[in-house]
Amino acid sequence: MRRGELQGYVLKRLLYAVLITFGVVTITFILLRLGPTSPADKYLANMSARTQDPAQVAAAIESRYGLDRPLWQQYGNYVANLFRGNWGWSFSTSMPVMSLIKQHWIYSFQLILLSLIFSALLGILIGLYSAVRQYTKLDYLATFFSFIGISVPNFWLGIMLILLFSVQLGWFKTYYDTGLPILSLANLKALVLPVITLGTGMMAGYTRYTRAAVLDNLRLDVVKTARAKGLPESLVIGNHVLRNAILPVITIIMFDLSSVVFGGVYLTEVIFGIPGLGRISFNAIFASDYPVVTTITLIGSLVVLLTNLATDIVYTWFDPRIRYD
Amino acid sequence: MKFYVVFLIILVALVAGCTSPAPSSTLTTSSTPSPSAPSTSTAITATPQVSGDFIDGDSGGDAETLNWILAADAASFSYVGHTVDSLATYDNNWNVVLRHMARPVEISKDDLTYTITIRDDLEWSDGQKVTAGDYVYTLKNLMFSDWLNYPYRSDWQETVNGETVFVEPVVVNDTTFTIKRRTVDPEFADNAIYGLTPYPEHIVIKYEGDAQAFTQAPELNDLSFTGNLGPYRFQEWVRNDKFVAQRNPDFYLGQSGPDAGSPFFEHFEIKLFGTSTAMQAALEAGDITSAGIEPEDVAKFKSMPDIKVYTEPTSGYDIVVLNQRQNGWEGLRNKAVRQALAMSISKQEVINSVRLGFADPAFSFIPKPSPWYTDEGVSQFGFGSLYNKEEAKQILAGAGYEIKTVEGKPALQGRDGKPVKLTLVTTPGSSISENLAFLVKQELTDIGIEVEIKEVPWATLLRQYVMNKVPDQDQQPGYNNGPAAVSEQPWDLIIMAFNTNPVAPSGSRVFFTSDGGLNYWGYSNPAVDERFIEVSTAAAIDPEVRKKIYSELSRTIADDLPVIFLTFPRGNSGFRSNVAGIDPGMRLSWNYHKWYFAQP
Repeated sequence: MRRGELQGYVLKRLLYAVLITFGVVTITFILLRLGPTSPADKYLANMSARTQDPAQVAAAIESRYGLDRPLWQQYGNYVANLFRGNWGWSFSTSMPVMSLIKQHWIYSFQLILLSLIFSALLGILIGLYSAVRQYTKLDYLATFFSFIGISVPNFWLGIMLILLFSVQLGWFKTYYDTGLPILSLANLKALVLPVITLGTGMMAGYTRYTRAAVLDNLRLDVVKTARAKGLPESLVIGNHVLRNAILPVITIIMFDLSSVVFGGVYLTEVIFGIPGLGRISFNAIFASDYPVVTTITLIGSLVVLLTNLATDIVYTWFDPRIRYD
Repeated sequence: MKFYVVFLIILVALVAGCTSPAPSSTLTTSSTPSPSAPSTSTAITATPQVSGDFIDGDSGGDAETLNWILAADAASFSYVGHTVDSLATYDNNWNVVLRHMARPVEISKDDLTYTITIRDDLEWSDGQKVTAGDYVYTLKNLMFSDWLNYPYRSDWQETVNGETVFVEPVVVNDTTFTIKRRTVDPEFADNAIYGLTPYPEHIVIKYEGDAQAFTQAPELNDLSFTGNLGPYRFQEWVRNDKFVAQRNPDFYLGQSGPDAGSPFFEHFEIKLFGTSTAMQAALEAGDITSAGIEPEDVAKFKSMPDIKVYTEPTSGYDIVVLNQRQNGWEGLRNKAVRQALAMSISKQEVINSVRLGFADPAFSFIPKPSPWYTDEGVSQFGFGSLYNKEEAKQILAGAGYEIKTVEGKPALQGRDGKPVKLTLVTTPGSSISENLAFLVKQELTDIGIEVEIKEVPWATLLRQYVMNKVPDQDQQPGYNNGPAAVSEQPWDLIIMAFNTNPVAPSGSRVFFTSDGGLNYWGYSNPAVDERFIEVSTAAAIDPEVRKKIYSELSRTIADDLPVIFLTFPRGNSGFRSNVAGIDPGMRLSWNYHKWYFAQP
């Protein structure tokens, strides 16, 4: 693909991304406001504890955050503020939404990044090995464990890891410590159990996808020809098999990235007490903290759109025949 | 190969996790052997020393703000409470313990003027004295203002000639202010005054009138003004993770007397967990100092030498709410029927199988540790001899509801001749609520009532079942829109938990009076309404008179059963056993500034 073609394609996709994101934000905004919830709902328990009239408390809270104004006015203010760089004030955490996200994105990002590296590297290597050594004992073992990896729910796995490695053996702290410097070995150690928890299911999936894709490619004529030409097996596997087999696995990895950002990371964050965006968004939904929910939806949409774009670009690197004109 | 090593480790972990973990004696940080029973502060002989960090695990929600006047949630008040004391608190026996007050509140002979004198050694962080003016400013210019919308302003309001008005705070001198009421309220000090904490007028005044600026003011959101007003100073708040406060060496109580040197922890941290399982694992591993313990895990933690478990009563109670409005089963509007239903649900079974032994039977709304509690003459439906399904069936028959046997099973017949089928609504996610729902269903099935359980999300429960309005009228749904109002969806029973302030139960009028703001089930008894008015009159200033009124209320409500009372649950708290100075009781943490780590 020529450079100019790629640039035009990327620009077009970015423009679409902006429009789609704006649409998603608008729909989210309207749905949240029309939904049967109010930020005052969760106070009923406390109102009962303080034996207060809930109607008065709810009215006070809704008035304070401008939720008693007409919907069109709320939306107009929101969009106008967005263009001014003001993403709103989170009323469930009492801080600007952008500061909240700036403070917490790193916890989710490091967990997702390390889990993806852990699961992709190991998954692809094991899948490749398993395919090349098909029907050996190690292949059966890898297949067996990948089934277990896919089947085990990560919240259960996380708790079990804590009970064994933290409570019984004392190797790790039972929860993630936000006081640790991000770029430190101590932080890396603190992430070992969360990464295994989040990454095990994905790794098992990549193992199976890679194995199947490699087996498909091993049967191709081009591979037989390469072997017949006397090319070393490492070159045959590396250049002719893996390069073709990796494309569907990349698609799956990128798809996983979106789904992990939108939900998979939440349970791991809950189990290990990591205050990442998963927990922030989950709590914001339950608190009807509209500014946070809308902003995280916006960021999530951008992540999905940009990872899709990145996937398409990566395709051209792996397979130069792909064109986007 | 690495792959297999990793998976072998995981497999071992999975297998190990399935077995019950042994006490982690190798991980203990404790140096003090645990006594077989919880010790009181008097049993501790070691001298308190400032050392270590106290980490309190919490699996509830995070606070919403440190700018407490904006808060409506309990966690926010709890966080702020570590850095700013209130005027007074209570000990385990409900004695008033002075904090910012220099002496007890003085009440005028006509019971309308309250004189409050604060200590003269209270200071803001910039060294300025805390004055009576700060308290009055906080009340008049912030809590009573229209621009700030303080959620709990009704604590400071009274009804005069049908109009709702605020009480009148007035500065007398630097350390004294008065609050004038126009009507008598014997529990005004308990419900409002003792909990009051001040804002610094000289800092806040620049934000006055601008709710947005006040909400986002940095000084008010980082508690940097709190001076010597509390045992700790704010250090860090990571949302959804932890709140950390550091020892306040200038703490006004720590300067002399029995509190000298306190607090004794370098830091006090609240660590949030997503699940109670993870929190309890952290306590077991010694990563945190204290945590709530689930009933099913109490025995395990009690067997650990490095953990002490305190089981204390709480002020909450489980109930089955009975819809007495027009869209509920008409039988529920009949007292005899309500009594029959209550007689069929075993409170002991609820205690044993749902609360696993950690609860006391509830017959009315005042919990046992309250100074106003009585059980004299209080009907104990669903307990002892009044748990009697045969008698319940006879009462139902007497009320016009016959029980027929259909396909070998009893079936209660409604007045229309059709079998009675009730809808019980609860929310998912709480095993307690779910277990209660199934137990109630099982018990009522035995007297021929079919129960359909509906699990709905909290927001749906509020909007469709709890909130009500008069049909065909242009009215905003509310929690009690009068006797003609009904909810959007019909229902008969709801599993709920309520709370009573043990020292000032009159606030429960919102549940049990005809126009009570939270009386969404439509209960009405003029005698109860009258007693709740009476308990707020001058006559009730006399504790004996008030006790008599509360006794009458307890008896009437226990007999009338506006809701079916089930249990008063007990709470379980686990502490590392080297934490000393704890005074066990319902208000376990009232003296927490005096807790310390016992040294080896």
